Amino acid sequence: MAKPLLERQVSLIEHMSSEAAIFGRGDGAADLEGIDHALLRVEARFSYAKRMEKIIAVLPQTFALLGSAEAPVVRAFVEGCPQTTISRLENARQFYRFLSLRWKREAPDPAYICDVAACEMACAELDADDQEPDRAKDEVCTIRSGIRRCRSVILRRCAYDVRPIFEPQLKAAPVKRETPLVIALPRGSDRPQIFEVIPAVFDLLAALDDWTDPPALFMGQDFARLLADLTAHGLIEVRP
Amino acid sequence: MADDRVSMTTGGTMPAVGIGYRAAINRWTRENLHRFDALEITVDHCLAGSKTLRSAIFDLVGRIPLTAHGVGLSLGTDAPLDLAYLDRVAEVVERLRAPAYSEHLAFTRVPGRETAALLPLPKTEEVAESIIAKVRTVQSRVPFPFLLENITYVFEWPDSKMSDAEFLNLICRETGAGLLLDIENVYLNATNHGFDPHAFIDALQPGLVKEVHMAGGVTISNASLAKPLLADSHSHPVPDAALDLLKYALARHTPSVIILERDDRLEAGNEILDDIARIRACVGAARSRKTHGEALVGAAG
Repeated sequence: MAKPLLERQVSLIEHMSSEAAIFGRGDGAADLEGIDHALLRVEARFSYAKRMEKIIAVLPQTFALLGSAEAPVVRAFVEGCPQTTISRLENARQFYRFLSLRWKREAPDPAYICDVAACEMACAELDADDQEPDRAKDEVCTIRSGIRRCRSVILRRCAYDVRPIFEPQLKAAPVKRETPLVIALPRGSDRPQIFEVIPAVFDLLAALDDWTDPPALFMGQDFARLLADLTAHGLIEVRP
Repeated sequence: MADDRVSMTTGGTMPAVGIGYRAAINRWTRENLHRFDALEITVDHCLAGSKTLRSAIFDLVGRIPLTAHGVGLSLGTDAPLDLAYLDRVAEVVERLRAPAYSEHLAFTRVPGRETAALLPLPKTEEVAESIIAKVRTVQSRVPFPFLLENITYVFEWPDSKMSDAEFLNLICRETGAGLLLDIENVYLNATNHGFDPHAFIDALQPGLVKEVHMAGGVTISNASLAKPLLADSHSHPVPDAALDLLKYALARHTPSVIILERDDRLEAGNEILDDIARIRACVGAARSRKTHGEALVGAAG
């Protein structure tokens, strides 16, 4: 009796996602019902190329920095992380998670590549969807007034100042220096921007993850002016 | 503004000619908007694309007629359809004011694993029955005409018993779905698998073809392949043989829109415009032939 179609489809896609099919290693699946493995390899390579195209589109600088490590890194990724969605962002997230785990075991090279990847991922997250902000959290929030960090602001405490990577006009190499970076989508801008803030502002923004009563954060006479400035720059929002 | 959904054809007789909208050439597309009668929008870009992309797409509503094409349904996976996805598709099609929603007769994933490649189904009556039920589900969730697109495939399931046209005709006849005829795919399949593309077009039920896709691909040759394989890469000019097939199809079918698909080498804008001109020439030639034929019939009567 013939196998159920789903079972056959699973076997086929598992084979097509395998290192054997994509990179031509080993024998691959033996029971693919007489389907020509060379043709399946062509299909598998198409699928792999589409996926990597999506990831590179989100993480172009990271890929450029991987250099000669790209091939082994990508092979390990393909082997360990099969594709689960067509979403460009989700595939990039998957690759970023894979890299982050890898960099815990192996020193990243160059050392600042993890900060570059984190910033690129943050830019993609910001540009991805303005429909996802934590609506549920908003709905259950009981504070009627307060301030919080804008949802379109992501904070990254980097070990390197990697802004020159994103601003080629700076014509400098990243330097090792703890750099509190804000990645934000300012009002009226269609592209995320990356900029450095002083540590105190970074810490304040980090503390404003949820609606907060301003008096609870009172830090001096200049505080109101600072809040006004951060609000004007679209970094915090105020609920009167 | 008039409802663009009413008719995609130009002047009610000639199919509209346009391209698939691609974010990478957003600016170029807008600068050349007057050269197209319609744009095809990938609904999945509206569902999961970046904010910038979604904004750019919806900004086109009302500027030019839009058609809605999906890539994320995986109609052929032998598992229940994602109804929530279909509900979101319905919202997008409505917002685009598109006259129809099209998807591929293919599967791209199984639970927990995706390929993003359009894979063929075994062409059997049993599989057709399963697809018919799913198409009915799609039609019940997305209240717009539904079109199935024929795919290109590099391999066939050994237990396939029906021809491509028989499989499509059966599903469309039972469901009332239309066909988005991808002529490049017909050309590639005919070349790669050795059948007559004209016979395929002849075998399609009259009135079935509602929209057409055109594209150009590449030839893949390597030692492991028994013969060179034509691939649907959407990267190069439409081959003359595909344009000849378009002329052949237009003599027999009356699609409302013809879309040029291009996903690679997008910087070659002149190639895209040249392809549009070649497609328009085919449309013009088909129209002349039909007018001439009608005149002859009229004179004889």
